[in-house]
Amino acid sequence: MRHPHLSDFLAASQPAAWLEVHSENYLAPGGPRVAALERLRGDYPLSCHGVGLSLGSAGGLDRAHLARLRALYDRLEPALISEHLAWSTAPDGVFLADLLPLPYTREALAVVAANIDFAQEAFGRRLLVENPSTYLRFCEAGWDEAEFLGELARRTGCGLLLDVNNLYVSARNHGSDPLAPLDRLPLAAVEEIHIAGHARVATAFGELLIDDHGSAVIEPVWQLLAATLARAGPKPVLVEWDTDIPALPVLLAEAERAETCLREAGDAAG
Amino acid sequence: MRLAELQERFARTVLAGGSERELLALLTDPADQRERRLAVNRNNVRHALLSVLEAAFPVVRQLVGVECFTATALAFVARHPPRRPVLYEYGGHLPGFLADFQPLAELPWLADVARLEWARNEALFAAEREPLTPAQLAAAPPARLGELHLRPHPSARLLESPWPIHAIWHAHQPAGEPLEAVDLSRAESVLVWRQKGAVRQRSLAAGEFALLAAFAENRRLAEAVEIAAGRDSMFDFPAALARLLGDELLVLSVREEGYGVNG
Repeated sequence: MRHPHLSDFLAASQPAAWLEVHSENYLAPGGPRVAALERLRGDYPLSCHGVGLSLGSAGGLDRAHLARLRALYDRLEPALISEHLAWSTAPDGVFLADLLPLPYTREALAVVAANIDFAQEAFGRRLLVENPSTYLRFCEAGWDEAEFLGELARRTGCGLLLDVNNLYVSARNHGSDPLAPLDRLPLAAVEEIHIAGHARVATAFGELLIDDHGSAVIEPVWQLLAATLARAGPKPVLVEWDTDIPALPVLLAEAERAETCLREAGDAAG
Repeated sequence: MRLAELQERFARTVLAGGSERELLALLTDPADQRERRLAVNRNNVRHALLSVLEAAFPVVRQLVGVECFTATALAFVARHPPRRPVLYEYGGHLPGFLADFQPLAELPWLADVARLEWARNEALFAAEREPLTPAQLAAAPPARLGELHLRPHPSARLLESPWPIHAIWHAHQPAGEPLEAVDLSRAESVLVWRQKGAVRQRSLAAGEFALLAAFAENRRLAEAVEIAAGRDSMFDFPAALARLLGDELLVLSVREEGYGVNG
């Protein structure tokens, strides 16, 4: 849920099964947004999606930020909390406000696993880790992303937030098959699924897909969602729409289609 | 390359212009694609931080124009990148940056308008506190009134400027009068606060400004009134107090609570 829709939710009950917010948007000591969420959390199950913890930072996690998030989670009591397989805080402490790519090396695995352990300990909760959209790849990588996530889940007990749009965007950007990771991802650890729209930009070497959450989910991503649900079983699905945010009914129509996919997956599973 | 070094190089590359050769050499993508792929992350970083500054400083953006604001904001981002992963706090250094930014020196009021916009941003996110009501104040023993320590609401911000920043700000609101109608030779003091979830602001006479500043310094009520009257011969304390209470701008200092005035 983004700020432009807060008033719709405050004014009337909306057909949303649950809500997800970016944790960092609600860390202020007061104000109308925090007050609105305090009211809504009684009416909808809540998922808190962190975008600033920087699980991939070589220098470890920011203790003050962990403490702020812990206080927020204690207050809101979200059903799920999640972060990204990415980094955004540089070694000198500068926050880069983007989910930056990691080389899938043995060193990075040790760093991320230690950071996840530390965060789960600090929160006293299980953390879901989301697969990223990537635009480049590092040659030192000894691991494939899906296997890297599997190893993280095995070592730390974290769950997986499987972003199906990110699977599609990354596969297209690297010329691989979006379905292929489903064979190697730790699907048993999936507790939540994201879908979203993305942008397409032309380059000298073909099209790059940019994960901007600024449009409707495209058909191939809906198909990938259906394939994912068929393999992983029914899991909560969230539609993300964070830029060029439409009127709420447009977003709710996407959420309803996701519900239909879930029902079909449930029926197929018997 | 160690992860920490990779992240240092990557951070420099996305914040500054060019990509470092050592970083490009780490990518497995075809050599002629690496710059373009890195540019996606560089654009994401710039776009995210620029959006934060655009949302916090809409009037500054109107004053200098969209293109100039983008260039100025990116210069600011390179000089003062965020140090905390909490972006509602990002941008507090922009007014000071603008004050020293030579390319915009012909708009001398710009930095103070930016201070006003930052005060609005702070007011929006400040802590909640129940305002003092007239009934609570009336319940205080009359003999003790002068000894009370009243405080501005946590969202209140006081600004003093040699420029008419409140009027300039107003001229850039949807129904505002044109900037040409503003007398730019006039100094202005402005009060910004949050009331019932909305940020408000108004200009202040010297007496009311002095009163609130004295409250912020935790002066006794009697002392604060004396300071305000000394600063402004027109100061009308009962009228000022009624207005401040009506605007839900006052709270009791913590040590007053429990003295029978908090109803």
